[in-house]
Amino acid sequence: MKLEDIARELGLTELTPKVTGNSEADIERGYASDLLSDVLAHAPEGGVLVTLQVHLNVIAVASHAELAAVIFAGDRRPDDEVCGKANAEGVSLFVSPADTFDVVGRLYALGVKGNHA
Amino acid sequence: MEHLTYDIQSGDFGGAGAASRDLKQHLKRIGAESDAVRRAMIAAYEAEMNVVIHTEGGRLEATVSDGQLDVDVVDRGPGIPDVPQAMREGFSTASSEARALGFGAGMGLPNIERNSDRLRVTSAVGDGTRVSFSIILRPEAADQGARPSSLGIAAELCRDCRHCLAACPTAAVRVREAQPSVLYHLCVDCTCCIAACDPGALTLLDAPDGLVPGADGVLAVPPALLAGFGDHAVDTVLEELRGLGFAEVVSVHRYEDELRRSVLDLAATSALPAPVISSVCPAVVSLIELKFPSLVPHLAPLASPWEALQRDLGERDVTYVVSCPSQRTALLAQQPTAQRRTVTPRLVREAVLPRLAARRRAAGETPAPQPQAAGADDLLVVTGVSHVLAVLEQIEDGRLTGVASVEPFICDGGCFGSPLLGEDAYVAAWRWAAAAGSAPGEGRSYERARPYRPRPGIRLDPDMAVAIRKLAELDAETKALPGRDCGVCGAPTCAALAEDIVMGRAVRALCPYVTPEEGSAS
Repeated sequence: MKLEDIARELGLTELTPKVTGNSEADIERGYASDLLSDVLAHAPEGGVLVTLQVHLNVIAVASHAELAAVIFAGDRRPDDEVCGKANAEGVSLFVSPADTFDVVGRLYALGVKGNHA
Repeated sequence: MEHLTYDIQSGDFGGAGAASRDLKQHLKRIGAESDAVRRAMIAAYEAEMNVVIHTEGGRLEATVSDGQLDVDVVDRGPGIPDVPQAMREGFSTASSEARALGFGAGMGLPNIERNSDRLRVTSAVGDGTRVSFSIILRPEAADQGARPSSLGIAAELCRDCRHCLAACPTAAVRVREAQPSVLYHLCVDCTCCIAACDPGALTLLDAPDGLVPGADGVLAVPPALLAGFGDHAVDTVLEELRGLGFAEVVSVHRYEDELRRSVLDLAATSALPAPVISSVCPAVVSLIELKFPSLVPHLAPLASPWEALQRDLGERDVTYVVSCPSQRTALLAQQPTAQRRTVTPRLVREAVLPRLAARRRAAGETPAPQPQAAGADDLLVVTGVSHVLAVLEQIEDGRLTGVASVEPFICDGGCFGSPLLGEDAYVAAWRWAAAAGSAPGEGRSYERARPYRPRPGIRLDPDMAVAIRKLAELDAETKALPGRDCGVCGAPTCAALAEDIVMGRAVRALCPYVTPEEGSAS
């Protein structure tokens, strides 16, 4: 499913409108974790990450793991520096008011699966 | 060759990632394959974060040579008191600040191990820690999928007989101007060329300092070595091996038994597609990753018997007597903190044979072995490269039914059949079967530290458009060659020479059957 369609279906707020390359990207896989080493080890390339962590290192991890997008759950918002870094790295950032469990559930219902599905 | 250096500040969570990000740009610029870049970045980032979280600061140095990235991360302390403990997933001493940011889950070093091809960690309390890892890059398309190899080449011994060309199951050997060479992106680290090479130009790399016994040293041996000394009983051989100056001699056979049990358990749970293929032989695992990537899901995700034994021996000073290159490669790729070396069976035989002869002179002993039947239902044991290839083809084509698990060995007769052992495979196996019940030792099986990774093997070019053009050239070259597979050009088949020509490793004029006019057209 295309990232822009996911954002619309889940009612996500986009934080990185300057990152345009990903909106057409087809998102097939996702990962949810707040442990960044765990994200590095297991997040699927080209996938989406759902996390509560909103600091700068999330962008480094997302970039190294070659993720297309990060969804911050629980209405947690990163500061401008983090958004700026994401713009520079080409990682799309979104915020959802829903908590992690609900965000993942909705993603799953849209056909975005985990590593072992 | 390119050398890069980055300083890393203690506690600088914001700046962390700068070194690994810059390294990534360099690797992309030289055209390293994307999977290697991703693995390199994850490993470098984890190493960088370790310096930020745990140390007084340090430095990351990276060297990019044509085929490999070597990264050295050295910090200024405080050092790790128990390195093996730090290597275990889930162990962490991180601060609450680091944990609040989502680090310090005890996954750093295991993550580095999983993503690198070689890792070594050394530490001195009060002094600092050094984390060194390597990742095989091989930027040129032709060398993608290269792995570390333990095949040694002594070119001066080559007699130009070219028996190795036909022996190699993956057409990885070339002999040009009486100089054997190996295309490492195709090599699976087996023993086929070694067995075919009478003069010993192709062999197994040995420890540079030979056999070094130590008061605390362990000698780890294959059962084929214990059963490989004529009519000397296994117990006697064990005793004389200890007599060389080792504190302990252990055999890998119980780990082979445990792996077999675990594979059969896996087959019974139907967690993997049938038949489950045992990871007993690292050369077959490599062959599957290269030539049968569709069968990778069939592979039991378990460490080989030697790797499992190495885990149990932990930090002890161990000399492993390995009977093939693939075992050596597997051992050196794991247990990054241990004192370990590998030696060839020849070295050990030469040391222990005089002792056995002296013992025989002093007091004769004659064992009377009675081979016993061993076997397990639902288990298909396949040995020898041609049989292994045939069975893997059958599995791939879905023609092998009713078999729950397969235990494949690249050498004829299993590990007993390695050309690097002195005794004939059948004789040693028969003698071992008689002694195995009473041979001491215990074993276990372990999950693998690194995931299986299919290798692209022959990929003409990473750019698909270029690859398609080269494919057309390859077709034309193949048609221009006589198809006699004579080996005179130094490639095992005409198809292999055609590929060498297209990839720039050879010219058509090497073929004695192509007339000069045609040759000059290439």
